[in-house]
Amino acid sequence: MAVDRRLRILSELDRATGTLCEVGARVTEMSGAGIMLMSGDLPSGSVCTTNDVSALIEELQYSLGEGPCVDAYNQKRPVLEPDLANPSESRWPAFTAPVLEAGVRAVFGFPLQVGTVRLGALNLYRDRSGPLGEDQHADALVMAGVAAQAVLAMQAGAPPGELAAELEAGGDFRYVVHQASGMVAAQLHVTVGVALIRLRAYAFANDRPLSQVAEDVVSRKLRFDGHEDRDLGA
Amino acid sequence: MPREALLVETMVELADTLVDDFDVVELLTRLADRCVEVLDVSAAGLMVARPGGGELQVVASSSDAMRVLELFELQAEEGPCPDCYHTGEPVLNENLATVDGRWPRFAPHALEAGFRSVHALPMRLRRQTIGALNLFREAEGGLDEADVHAGQALADIATIAILQQRAAADARVLNEQLSQALNTRIVIEQAKGVLAEQANLDMEQSFARLRTYARSHNIRLADVAQRVIDGTLSAGSLDPGTNT
Repeated sequence: MAVDRRLRILSELDRATGTLCEVGARVTEMSGAGIMLMSGDLPSGSVCTTNDVSALIEELQYSLGEGPCVDAYNQKRPVLEPDLANPSESRWPAFTAPVLEAGVRAVFGFPLQVGTVRLGALNLYRDRSGPLGEDQHADALVMAGVAAQAVLAMQAGAPPGELAAELEAGGDFRYVVHQASGMVAAQLHVTVGVALIRLRAYAFANDRPLSQVAEDVVSRKLRFDGHEDRDLGA
Repeated sequence: MPREALLVETMVELADTLVDDFDVVELLTRLADRCVEVLDVSAAGLMVARPGGGELQVVASSSDAMRVLELFELQAEEGPCPDCYHTGEPVLNENLATVDGRWPRFAPHALEAGFRSVHALPMRLRRQTIGALNLFREAEGGLDEADVHAGQALADIATIAILQQRAAADARVLNEQLSQALNTRIVIEQAKGVLAEQANLDMEQSFARLRTYARSHNIRLADVAQRVIDGTLSAGSLDPGTNT
């Protein structure tokens, strides 16, 4: 059974000119999909997303450090929320409202793993509520495994110390956030780690995506001077 | 316990150990022991080639005497196991005393160790042979057909276990490389930011300075970036105008 699913997904991948995420959304009959890489217990970037909504789902989890992918990765199991508007358990306080506003009604996270090696998570969402069917669940599990192997296979071709060109081209690893961390570190005379915390805190307090705040820092519309964070763009 | 039942139990037991984090040497040692219990043989051992078609190695044996004999096979470069590995076909010997010069060094040695017939079954998945299962008997005569089938089934389990463990090891290495590549990139982006702020540059100009410094001082870009972040390398010393 699992072999059949695997073969079907692999044949889809062969035919698809698009990405892993598009195949992931199609085989599971979802509204959209994203593949997130994790480092430590926080997201480190996206391999792919199918649309603006799945990009938002990834961005929020990156900014906030909470959500279905983060949980799926950390708990090493699928994390299912079939009815985000009336959730069975209250979790992801900051993630939920903006995602609902974007039209998401159900979200599902599946860990991306090969054996005991975990890379990140596959995120699936749907614009109406309802649980995954048995087939959809089984397809999602296989898809997550195939995606994990595909990501590692891409990296296998990369020169030492460099990210694979395919990942670099198709993914979003939020480089702007790290550039902004460097700038804020220099502005505040703190370490880059502390600077990133300040950026996150600012984004959270102002209800803005971290990447957007980072863009403003890099384009010098926003400066951190230690007393007040003045918005020079207004 | 009847042999069939023992065989099924062994299969289930071995399949149960094929979970995420198993110790492959322990599994193979147990498998060698089980061969002696289940099959009509006196000793069993597994030889496996290093990945990429490398040299054979003894990975598990049911007894020390078996292990010594297997090591001798490797040293002498002859015997049922190397033959089986190289051809990918079973080697089924009826009588070690009459092998007619096939294994001039191994045969007398094995006879002296008390064995009268020696067999080897390939550890093979599709066209890839990764090693062989040695089955030695203290009595003359061949393995019966049921034993050959059962032995091959056990060899197949061992093959899957080894290939699975190798795939997991490869995945671990690749995942570490992926994380490391990403971390290196992050450090470079952070350094670009620090430099951009300190020297009032845009990101492209910052990167050009980091790269120029790395090249002219023959230091890895990632190391230059790390020093910029640490503050041990200042914006001034990266400025080509002031750099000596």
